[in-house]
Amino acid sequence: MAETTPSASATGSVTTTATATTSTATSANPPTLTSLPSGGKKVVIDPVTRIEGHLRVTCVVENGKVTDAWNTATQFRGFEIFMKDRDPRSCWQFAQRICGVCPTPHAHASVLATEHAMGLKNVPDGARLFRNMSEAAHIGYDHILWFYLLNAFDYVNVPNGLKAKVPATQPALKALQDTVRRIVESGQLGPFAGHWWDHPGYKNPPEVDLELTAHYLRAIEVQQFANDASAFMGGRFPMVMNYQPGGMINQPTIEELQYYKGQMSRVTDFVDNVMLPDLLTIAPLYLDLATIGAGHKNYLSWGIFDDESQDPYNRVLPRGAIFGGDLTSVQKVDPMEDVKIFTKSSYYSDSSGEGKHPLDAGQDVKFTSYPDLKGDKLPDGKYDWTQSARLGKDNRPMEVGPLAEVLVAYASGRAEVKALVDSTLAAVGAAGKPEILMSDLGRIAGRVLRAKLNSDFAQKWADDFLGLVKAGKAEVYKEPPSPNDGEGAGGWNAPRGALAHYIRIKGGKTSAYAAVPPTNWNLSPRDDNGVRGPLEAALIGTPVVDPTKPLEILRVVHTFDP
Amino acid sequence: MPEEEMSVFLGVTRRDFLKFCGGMAALIGLGPGGTPQVAAALEALAKRPQVIYSSFQQCTGCAIQLLQTRTPTVANLILQQISLEFQDNVMAAAGDAAEAQFEKIVESGDFYWVIEGSIPTKIPEATTIAGENVADRAKRVYPKAKGVIAYGSCACYGNVQASRPNPTGAMGVGEFLRTKGGIPDAKVINISRCPGHSEDMIAALSYVLVTGKLPELDAVGRPVFLYGKTIHDSCMRRGHFEAGEFVETFGQAIAGDPRCLYKLGCKGPVTHAPCGINYWNGHVSWCVHNAPCQGCAEPGFWDKFTPFYEQLRTFGNFPAETIGIALGAATVVGLGAHAVASAATGRFGRHEDETKGGER
Repeated sequence: MAETTPSASATGSVTTTATATTSTATSANPPTLTSLPSGGKKVVIDPVTRIEGHLRVTCVVENGKVTDAWNTATQFRGFEIFMKDRDPRSCWQFAQRICGVCPTPHAHASVLATEHAMGLKNVPDGARLFRNMSEAAHIGYDHILWFYLLNAFDYVNVPNGLKAKVPATQPALKALQDTVRRIVESGQLGPFAGHWWDHPGYKNPPEVDLELTAHYLRAIEVQQFANDASAFMGGRFPMVMNYQPGGMINQPTIEELQYYKGQMSRVTDFVDNVMLPDLLTIAPLYLDLATIGAGHKNYLSWGIFDDESQDPYNRVLPRGAIFGGDLTSVQKVDPMEDVKIFTKSSYYSDSSGEGKHPLDAGQDVKFTSYPDLKGDKLPDGKYDWTQSARLGKDNRPMEVGPLAEVLVAYASGRAEVKALVDSTLAAVGAAGKPEILMSDLGRIAGRVLRAKLNSDFAQKWADDFLGLVKAGKAEVYKEPPSPNDGEGAGGWNAPRGALAHYIRIKGGKTSAYAAVPPTNWNLSPRDDNGVRGPLEAALIGTPVVDPTKPLEILRVVHTFDP
Repeated sequence: MPEEEMSVFLGVTRRDFLKFCGGMAALIGLGPGGTPQVAAALEALAKRPQVIYSSFQQCTGCAIQLLQTRTPTVANLILQQISLEFQDNVMAAAGDAAEAQFEKIVESGDFYWVIEGSIPTKIPEATTIAGENVADRAKRVYPKAKGVIAYGSCACYGNVQASRPNPTGAMGVGEFLRTKGGIPDAKVINISRCPGHSEDMIAALSYVLVTGKLPELDAVGRPVFLYGKTIHDSCMRRGHFEAGEFVETFGQAIAGDPRCLYKLGCKGPVTHAPCGINYWNGHVSWCVHNAPCQGCAEPGFWDKFTPFYEQLRTFGNFPAETIGIALGAATVVGLGAHAVASAATGRFGRHEDETKGGER
């Protein structure tokens, strides 16, 4: 396996193999429990709320800690099946419906795969910048949405904010407190109903809870600004309208670019002055989360944000993989060559043990039954709609997401990333210890740090595009070749992690299509070798104070933004 | 609610509230004079109407669209106008606690039910919540609800997962209940588009709350007051269609170019939706601002309207080739107008066949 170098080939089709080895039984991967140990308790969360889609998590808790875990997606739609025999130019529209929270990167990765299959290496520079801008707006919205709407209630105790002493100089905060009180007293608690607010894991002082409740409400508006920015240039969000193999359907106008800059500056303001400070306010109260949840410590990034070369290994957050937490070495990886799909634990016919190429998987659906929700029986055999994606010759389970991207960029020596990570570590008293990021708290921090990087770059790309307009070189589309046959892969990073789409074209139509989204990595079930997926591995060791109110398990699941 | 109290309620002023009521009055057909009627009806509800929102077989895009709602603000909507007692993407509770909340509201029988997502019928286990497949959940909960809204094209017609060969047997909620669900007279308001548009959904719910009646529905179950016109009818590019002026290649500055996108594959002429009226994302944009319409409000658009970026093969009662040849010539103006008139009155060729089957 080659080290990543700045001069890596522009084609990105470098065959690689993992040379390092790990035994399958590690602290993150003890042997699977086949029956409930005496004194152990089975804890099931179904539905896992505040996520995209449908998920169940089953854990065994012994002596106050999780000792085994299984994730089960409880939804299936069959994209690999109904995307066959389609016009390749229409595929990205189907593909973005895989995830309505992150449609833009799905559309983008699909277009990249189609362009690869068509033999198109580069799009016009204007299309590169336009795509970067759309993705930056998308990530701005997504990380704000995650930090507040999906994640915050795991740490922010809304009713506890009623106890806050609000100074007379803060009438808006007082009004909010009165509102919360009215809602609680009305008995119609809406989104706050039925939750474990009395759990001892909530540690914030009432003033912090009230302040963050206000930021939660503000976050709803700010994520709208980010989406307005991409919608104004792309028709609407969710489900953008303007991608196309060869570039973009529309060239942004100067008015659209200025609107984008304005809205994104409001996003930057919020990320810098609210979200990052909020992280630094609550993180010291939850430092125990920096010592658990590391899991396999394998990290994968397909890379995001192209530079002028449009080489995925040169991206602003570059392509690469880290194994076993070794930040001294970034391995070069390729989505076409290095990904295999395993289905021994999934509702498909068994894979052979060798695994399948993504384009050859996903067709032979074979639902058996879900694991028991109640009772003591533990999941075994097939227990998940998600297929297991594994990387390289040794079929490694890989964690993907903002933390993985930040670590790969950090280990690749990207200056902006190093500066931001080092200053953040210093701020929390962990200077020179990036390894503490390999934890539950690190996943939360990774998302906030990437949001910060993202909003800084958004302005630059809009300015660069205005420069192209000025120079009369603002083309965003070049008619691609339309071969009858071809095969391609498009690797990108969605906000929740590495995402690759795959297409095989025969006779001008799709003969096979596949997507390997972040879920197939982070929430993969056990593979054919019995190796747990990253979430399953990260859950092991999680303390659980009260198995009837498994707040701590919910927190870990949410750190993966499933 | 007294004005001063309203003014501090999550930053919503009386003016904002009346603006919302005015918008709703206009949308539900009461006209500008209907504002006080809407405001009085909403304010008279001492107990906020309870809404539960279920995610069936879906992608969460409709819930994300709901979070883009601007008038009213999201906080005002879910904490003030209604009480959103269950919504799995935003609610604090999870697992058994969330399920207990769902069942508590269902048992009360005092709720409206918004459903995002389709119902898989060939593989019922292709979507389950707390161990119950959504087909069983739909049949069990429907009789208890005061009203049901299918929000987004999945809940209406199955959408992308129902495209050929529909591996899971995905169906819209209303169609499922009336056929396989054994409730032949089930009434579901369809709010189509992909994603669903929150303001359509809120307008339909407001209509029910204010008038106490179901709105008139079209042949595929959508409120006529929202989906009575085609995209083409309300399109700002329409004049250029009539004049035969078209954008013909990708990569143009489309937002600054008023010409028609018909030749890029726009499905506006055969798509019924109010996109050109209520726009998207705080009313800053809509699809046709930047790209051709893909027809996401219509049943079966993934199979009917693909390839998306080819000119429509049929348009009204005229084969598109005829229009294609004639387009750009002065003589086409009459032809275009006639075809559009056909569309407006629902006299489609191909399209009519596809909408048979009584989605009402």
